[in-house]
Order: sequence, then structure tokens, then C-alpha cells
Amino acid sequence: MNSILSPRDGLRVPRTVVIIPAHEEARDIGRVIREIHHVSNFPVVVVDDASPDDTIRVAHEAGAHIIPLSVQLGAWGAIQAGLRYALSRDFEYAITMDADGQHEAAALPALMQPILEGQADITIGCCTRRGSRLRKVAWKLMKGVSGLTPEDLTSGFRVYDRRAIEALASRQATLLEYQDVGVLFMLQKRGLTIRDVEVNMPPRSSGISRIFHSWTSVGFYMAYTLLLSLTKRQRRAQL
Amino acid sequence: MIPLITGILGVITAATILVLIRRDHLHARYGLWWVGAAIAFALLGVFPWIFDGLAEYLGVAYAPVLALMLAIILLVLKILVMDLERSRNQVKINRLVQRIGLLESDLRTLQNEHGKEPGSYGKDEMED
Repeated sequence: MNSILSPRDGLRVPRTVVIIPAHEEARDIGRVIREIHHVSNFPVVVVDDASPDDTIRVAHEAGAHIIPLSVQLGAWGAIQAGLRYALSRDFEYAITMDADGQHEAAALPALMQPILEGQADITIGCCTRRGSRLRKVAWKLMKGVSGLTPEDLTSGFRVYDRRAIEALASRQATLLEYQDVGVLFMLQKRGLTIRDVEVNMPPRSSGISRIFHSWTSVGFYMAYTLLLSLTKRQRRAQL
Repeated sequence: MIPLITGILGVITAATILVLIRRDHLHARYGLWWVGAAIAFALLGVFPWIFDGLAEYLGVAYAPVLALMLAIILLVLKILVMDLERSRNQVKINRLVQRIGLLESDLRTLQNEHGKEPGSYGKDEMED
């Protein structure tokens, strides 16, 4: 297989782990893991966020390493567990992906490319076409208030380098509610370069967004993000 | 008559707090704040005119308002401190859960390497 992720011409592919936080994803996670294995040699770590269903068994059978959380921490808590694993095992890069099939393994080479070429420390897979009108309005608002430049602020499809992994595994990063604005602010503050990579995102197979499924949920998300943005915003000149 | 009633109520409240501390139902560290509250309750219960004097000194026309205002300020501060502490605790809990998950996965790896049959994953029910 001739892709940027297969060693060729003496080019070294850095030690990379794929982290997938999963809560009740028995339906799709097997397929997602197999697709990753098809495209790369990266080990896959599934952080099971106290799923009541068969997620662990399905993921295990598909060949993923499991980190079982006994109490549900939410997506960010699960991702951080995966990042702590990456840190302890000295991985150079960590890729976060969703378990529901929205993030395609086929996009991994495109995501890794800017990093391997030294153009960025972190990449975010963006698909600004997706989402309801509500989500698009929310994006614009968040971008405006926070001053953050990444196009798809809410995308969890990211590659983090070693310094990002260290920062995000820390105690300081533990109480972030979502992985979007809070995480991006923290990385920006450390002077890390973040780049967007346009990728395709098929519609979520289960059809329900975690954040945008109800007005209350969206309301809380917006209020939380607004507060964080106002308190942590950096002047444009520093970006 | 009133001072007698308030006095008894104040002393009972104070005594209850002290008993809770003694029986370890109330953590001694929080006990300091509540002992202060207990003393305040007892004092103001037995000598309610203290507030009248204080109100006059501060220029507050209606003494009970002063009492309520001080009580509210103290409660707000207390709640703020509680939320700060709750945040610290939540960090500890989250990191503990993560660490247990990491350990459990290491354990299974080791067990598999030694040809042992790993146990089943368990869930913990925790109420907020």
C-alpha cells in the first residue's frame, strides 16, 4: 500500500496512536477500527466511557487496545485518558477520532501530511459543509468571540504532537467540558501551530449530535464557550 | 419573652453543630466555620439587641436587614468556596478514573501475556 503512512524510501513514520473515545458505540466501532488498520499500522486505543452495551467486546475483537473507564467522564475525559496513555507510552503523535464513522480513516494521510512536512504541530480535520444551520451560526459566533482561527472548531478529528499531548494530559486540562474552545486556547497559548485540513465527513450514522441535540444542550454549550472565550481570549497580535 | 425563645433556639443550634462534629458527621475542617456560626447563633439568640446596636452604629435603619444582609454575604462566600472545592475534587475524581482505566488495561495486557484469564470489566454506579 503506497501511502504517506507506509514506510517507503527510508522515510520514517513517527510512532502514532489513534485514540477513540467511545460511549455506546458497539454498532459502528468495529468498522471504524478495521478501516484504520486498513490504512495504517497505527495502534488503536479505544477509551470506553462506561458503555452499558457491547462496545468493549466489539472493539477488542476488532483489535483495539481498551482503556475501560468505570465511571462516565464524557468525551473529553475519555480522550484525556487516551492522551495520558499516549504520553506514558512515549508516542510522538496522537490522533483523535470519533467512534461513529463521521471521521474517515481514508483521511488520515491528508491529516498527517502537514505534520510530517513540518508545517504544523497540530492538524484539525475540517468539514465546514456539514451541520445544521444552528451549528453554522454557533461556529460563526464562537469564532468571532474567541478569536480562534481554526475553521471547524468543534471537530474532534485531530492530530496532536508530543507537546500538545503533554499539555492536554495535564491536570490543568482535566476540567475542560468540551474538547473545542478550551483545548484550542490552551494549545494556542503554548505557541503551537494549528492547521486545518479539509476532509470529507459523512453524516453521522446514528444521526444524533452529542451537543446539538437539544436547545438546553446547545444553550449550555454556547454559554460555556462564551465564558471561556471571554476569559481566555488573546489579542490578535499574539496569535 | 422573645430573647428567651431566640436564646434557646440559638443555643440548641450551636449544640447540634458541636455534636455533629463530635460524632464525625461533620468534618472538623468545616467544623471551624460552623462553630463560628454556632457561636453567632447562640450569642445573637441570647442577646438579640447586639444587632440593634450594630445597625445604629452603621446607620442601617432597620436592624433585621443588617442581619439578613450579613447572612447572605457569608452564605454566598461559603458557596463560592464550596464550588471551588468541588472543582478540585472533580479533577481528582476524573484523573483517578482515568488512572484506574489505564491500570486496568495494563493489568489485562500482563495477564494475557502470562496466559491468565482476565476478569470481566466492571462498572461503578456513582451518583452526582
